[in-house]
Amino acid sequence: MSTPREPTDDPIIARDATYYRAPDALRQSLRKSLAQAAAGEPQAPRKAPPRRLAGAFAGVLQPFAGWRTAAAGLALALVAAVGWNAMLLQSRPSSEDLLVRDVVNAHVRSLIAANHLNDVISTDQHTVKPWFTGKLDFAPPVQDYASAGFELTGGRLDYVNGRPVAALVYKHRLHTVNVFVWPAAAMANAPARVLTANGYSLAQWRAGGMQYWAVADVAPAELSTLADAVSGSAAR
Amino acid sequence: MNRLAQFEHSVVPHLDAAYNLARWLTRNDHDAQDVVQEAYLRAFRFFDSLKDPDARAWLLAIVRNTTYTWLARNRPSDLVPIDDQDLIPSDTETVGHATPMETNPEVILLQSANRKLMNQALEEIAVGYREVLVMRELEDLSYKEIAHVAGIPIGTVMSRLARGREMLRRALEKRMKRAS
Repeated sequence: MSTPREPTDDPIIARDATYYRAPDALRQSLRKSLAQAAAGEPQAPRKAPPRRLAGAFAGVLQPFAGWRTAAAGLALALVAAVGWNAMLLQSRPSSEDLLVRDVVNAHVRSLIAANHLNDVISTDQHTVKPWFTGKLDFAPPVQDYASAGFELTGGRLDYVNGRPVAALVYKHRLHTVNVFVWPAAAMANAPARVLTANGYSLAQWRAGGMQYWAVADVAPAELSTLADAVSGSAAR
Repeated sequence: MNRLAQFEHSVVPHLDAAYNLARWLTRNDHDAQDVVQEAYLRAFRFFDSLKDPDARAWLLAIVRNTTYTWLARNRPSDLVPIDDQDLIPSDTETVGHATPMETNPEVILLQSANRKLMNQALEEIAVGYREVLVMRELEDLSYKEIAHVAGIPIGTVMSRLARGREMLRRALEKRMKRAS
């Protein structure tokens, strides 16, 4: 790349011709379609155990014919096999990874598909909350947090973590925030934990016996604000 | 880091370069966006084939191929075949400087050309010459990288650059005469 400029180069072209920069709209639509493409592709194939392993053991065992050595070798092989399986288990995506992917996918889907974002459109929590009645086996707490900058715009049913969940939709400035709610396995409250995946921010917390996952393309700290507001109202 | 994160780390930063090339080749904002979108999805699919830590030339090659496929389908008349036979490869000195106009007046002419005229002139010349000029002058790619992206020998890159500059100069000249 550090090729010396040839004398025939025209700096005038670089000076006068427009360098077209990618518009923001392209950047955004690209992020969406890439996330979609990534979600649609199969998992990376798990590594096959190297054949060399068996060969190596054969080499160790061959020179010794005694039972004792064979037993020791067998034990070693057993340990190796167990260890190998443990490694395989670890290399598999953790349940948290899968859940994060579920949450991001549900969020992206809600933004891509027309009319998928809200099944019940209302800024009134007293309209949104009853809408869920009879559709879920739990009653999700629904509240507007406009004073904290998160305005309730509606809700819908979604499917996350292998179960139907309530999806509450908030507007935060120009961003759409999806908050997925379902009953938590543990009753104890847990403060918000933020993470990022595929460029989205996520926050997870537990309050009032409910599991919450919030996702949006905002700074992680902003989701913490929402988590604090929700946890605060659940404590009351 | 998962595959998407790696891709976002090494390929997405070159979005401006990708867009600039597609924009210059399609000469249209909307078409350029479509092409780049498609090229990026292709790049993501073939991401495993990227060996070079610098993804820019690799990405631009995909953008260029996608653009050419797009042009062939939508604007085949844009794809003017280039005859490199009558160009003497690597002998840029002859091609570039043997022209009688290539003296001071040209420099003055080029220097006084404004942005609008330059953009129009560059859009006017055949896509095969336009692309090497854009890659060289706007993207600052080396001859070797351009050869890789365009799939032509380095000598051809140099002769097309020289010929392209000559065409650009003439296009500018014409426009400036008309303007004055």
